[in-house]
Amino acid sequence: MRPLTRACVIESGRNRFTVSITEDLNPELERELAAPFASTPGASVPEGGDVTGSGSAWRLIVRSFFDNKLGILGVSLLVLLLLFSFVGPIFYHSDTTIATYNINLPPGPGHPLGTDPSGRDVLGRLMTGGQDSLIIGIVSALVSTIIGTLWGAISGFFGGAVDTVMMRIVDVLLAIPTIFILLYLETIYHPTVLLLIITISVVSWLTAARLVRGETLSLRTREYVRAVRIMGGGRFRTIVRHIIPNTIGVVVVQATFSVANAILILATLGFLGFGLAPPAADWGSMLSGGVNYIYDGYWWLIYPPGILIVLTVLAFNFIGDAMRDALEVRLQRR
Amino acid sequence: MGGIGEPMKKTSRRRSAAIIGTTAAAAMLLAACGSSSTTKSTSSSSTSSTATKVKGGTAYFAEAPGASPNYIFPLTPSANFSVDNTSQFQILMYRPLYFFGVGNKAEINPSLSVANPPVYSNNNKTVTITLKKYKWSDGETLTSRDVIFWMNLLKANKTAWAAYVPGDFPDNVVSYSAPNASTVVFQLNKSYSPTWFTYNELSQITPLPMAWDRTSLSQPAPSPTAPNLPDTTTAGAQAVYKFLNGQASDLSTYATSPIWSVVDGPWKLSSFTTAGKAVFVPNPSYTGPVKPSLSQFVELPFSQAQSEFNVLRAGNSAITYGYLPVTDLSQKPYVESIGYKVEPWIDLGFTYWVENYNNPTYGPVFQQLYFRQALQHLVDQPAWMSSFLKGYAVPSYSPVPLAPANPFADANSKTNPYPYSVSAAKNLLTSHGWKMVNGVMTCESPGTSATQCGKGVTKGLALNLNLQYASGNAFATQEMDAYQSAAKQAGINISLSSATFNTVITNAVPCKPTQASCKWEMENWVGGWVYSPDYYPTGGELFGAGSGANYGSYSSAEANKLIAATHTSSSPQAALNAYQNFMVQQLPVIYQPSPDYAISLISNKLGGVTQNPYLNLTPETWYFTK
Repeated sequence: MRPLTRACVIESGRNRFTVSITEDLNPELERELAAPFASTPGASVPEGGDVTGSGSAWRLIVRSFFDNKLGILGVSLLVLLLLFSFVGPIFYHSDTTIATYNINLPPGPGHPLGTDPSGRDVLGRLMTGGQDSLIIGIVSALVSTIIGTLWGAISGFFGGAVDTVMMRIVDVLLAIPTIFILLYLETIYHPTVLLLIITISVVSWLTAARLVRGETLSLRTREYVRAVRIMGGGRFRTIVRHIIPNTIGVVVVQATFSVANAILILATLGFLGFGLAPPAADWGSMLSGGVNYIYDGYWWLIYPPGILIVLTVLAFNFIGDAMRDALEVRLQRR
Repeated sequence: MGGIGEPMKKTSRRRSAAIIGTTAAAAMLLAACGSSSTTKSTSSSSTSSTATKVKGGTAYFAEAPGASPNYIFPLTPSANFSVDNTSQFQILMYRPLYFFGVGNKAEINPSLSVANPPVYSNNNKTVTITLKKYKWSDGETLTSRDVIFWMNLLKANKTAWAAYVPGDFPDNVVSYSAPNASTVVFQLNKSYSPTWFTYNELSQITPLPMAWDRTSLSQPAPSPTAPNLPDTTTAGAQAVYKFLNGQASDLSTYATSPIWSVVDGPWKLSSFTTAGKAVFVPNPSYTGPVKPSLSQFVELPFSQAQSEFNVLRAGNSAITYGYLPVTDLSQKPYVESIGYKVEPWIDLGFTYWVENYNNPTYGPVFQQLYFRQALQHLVDQPAWMSSFLKGYAVPSYSPVPLAPANPFADANSKTNPYPYSVSAAKNLLTSHGWKMVNGVMTCESPGTSATQCGKGVTKGLALNLNLQYASGNAFATQEMDAYQSAAKQAGINISLSSATFNTVITNAVPCKPTQASCKWEMENWVGGWVYSPDYYPTGGELFGAGSGANYGSYSSAEANKLIAATHTSSSPQAALNAYQNFMVQQLPVIYQPSPDYAISLISNKLGGVTQNPYLNLTPETWYFTK
């Protein structure tokens, strides 16, 4: 029943089906389900009181999202981090690429967060490092989610031998330690933003593929999917127009978490010395450079990038959690 | 950072970070200990707190960052020619004919040598060597045949030997023979300076056991006196080399191999991991002087100087003999408080990075002297030494080292003809046909006249160069960042990348422009070169045309002539001066400050340690004290 409900929500939000498939079976339930989407609510008062939501499904989702305090915190953090990284350099000018002999200066005039072992301004590098970290994190999450969603939907929809082969490929790739693949690729090629996006995407799409495939397995047996087929809809159309849109909840949540994951992977690579080539900055490499001075008390080399990594990952995790709450009907308030 | 830790490179041995070594005759050893600062030596009865020597115990020695042993066969190729393989691994098991370094003095060590000092006759064209009584661990006696075996292998596979210089050893040996079991006689093609020939040519010989004279593991070890063994023909010697090289490439079998377990040195390998952890136990049948007192000697691999220091600092004696990264000099009082003494280990070497003269794109640019001068003008040696190396370094202005104090370096090697100056570098480029285009110097005026880019440099070529350096030492990152910034201001765009020492020295090999391995442009293994086995610093192995350790394929007829003169001249220092003065000016490589090999941290409980200037390791002289 529950999954049916979701199908109804999405579909009616798109004004696609006007006739519910549950109507004949349970008119009472149908009325209850349809209530939030009726243009004139309150035609009948359902058991359990009035629904508070109104308007489109997306508005409901957004509202539900912002009812989650951690979700608001996550979005605020993210906005702050984006402002810091992308708008910050406009107001705070520093040369982040030229090495000087003013090495490891403590915070002071001219260098609010001191200088690094190569005499570059730490605050400025945190900003440019943030740009790279966020761009790489977000783009690789997008890429990996798109690949994973298509892979999972195709695999789940066709089933049988296709499913077996495609999912075994995923299993095999999952069995190889991620860090091994990453270090291998980074050793052979010279790390650049593009290469990092590609390599992180290559190892991150597997989870999305599995999730979407699981979702698709249940969706493909739905009556409306069968109906599309009966009405002569092609396979591709079915997947793209009917299956994938209905997995959107899972996908969006997964995408959010994978941004956090990608930023962590990037930090790990940077920490291991496989980050962006100098003088470009990324937070993981900055942290790694600072760790060399752990016994010298140069806290400005360690805490700022560490805290930024933690905050960014937290922000995306909060957002992901709140999205899941908003999209998962089971968790949705009514 | 640690000063040291970085490896030198290849052939002559490239140094990496490191450690110590050595010993001398027992008597020398004691004297050295008595005079060195901390060791509570047995010899000095006047020392108030006389420590008691204890037999047994396990000493843990930290390998240089990223520079673990990965080649066991003494006939080592360029790609593996590192201190970590030759002076701190192979030498424990397989003794060279002549051992170098007496205490901390850079000279031949007659006591630890397998042979008596060579006798030169016939106007220095005949060398006669007599062997001392040594035995292999398989019970066979070390004889002149074992020296002949090395010579046969070397002669048939000379290009595989990292220290090979065309025209020099073994090409300069017309014939070699073994008139009896303990004598070898070499006939040379002309008369050479005995010092040079002993220090740089005979020094390359390591007697090999006849048990290795075969071409497969399934063959039984041959009898040492059998006639017609495979090494006696060129094809046979090549097959034997191929087999042994293959065995040496299989790191997982080092400790169990029936080949490598035949040793004449004081130590036997009891276990070895491919990551580079080596466990040695005393060789019970060692017949040379100074038998091990320790019951076990362990070498531990580390990827970074910092990780080594973390382990050492944590206490519990996980490392007996380690090093202090330069970044952590502030920790000196702490490590002293937990029972270590701090002693810089200075080697006879210099530090530089190589440019690839045979790179298909940039090789012609590197061949221009003005361009090398521009690159050298961007190295700020005084600032690097004071800011990054905290004074634990000396400058390098030529291949002849300034430290430890030695009679070789002349005044020219002590002054910098190309001091730091971005504008000088820029002027050199702009006055030779280069023009700044979008911040990068681009050749606008190709041609060979004095104001043009030079032979082989094409119009429109922009200076976007790659420089790879060895990871693991923070000071190296600082130096390379500083260099990158300076170069950028001069219009030279340098892409930096880092890799382990072992990777860097494998990349930086001599090559031909058409080879795929010739894509590298500049490689810096940070450790430079320690003069070994070319113990007399004349540079033939480094810069001689076609030499295995001439990683950048530098080629200069004038340099070859000057180097050859140092081998035969009757006034050796004058010839050496002419050579070094040329190299100061010509910049066959880019010189950078020479850090101490390591700021060693030696447990106060460990006695008998001296730091060999050639970086040879001799744990057989070490002992624990109560």
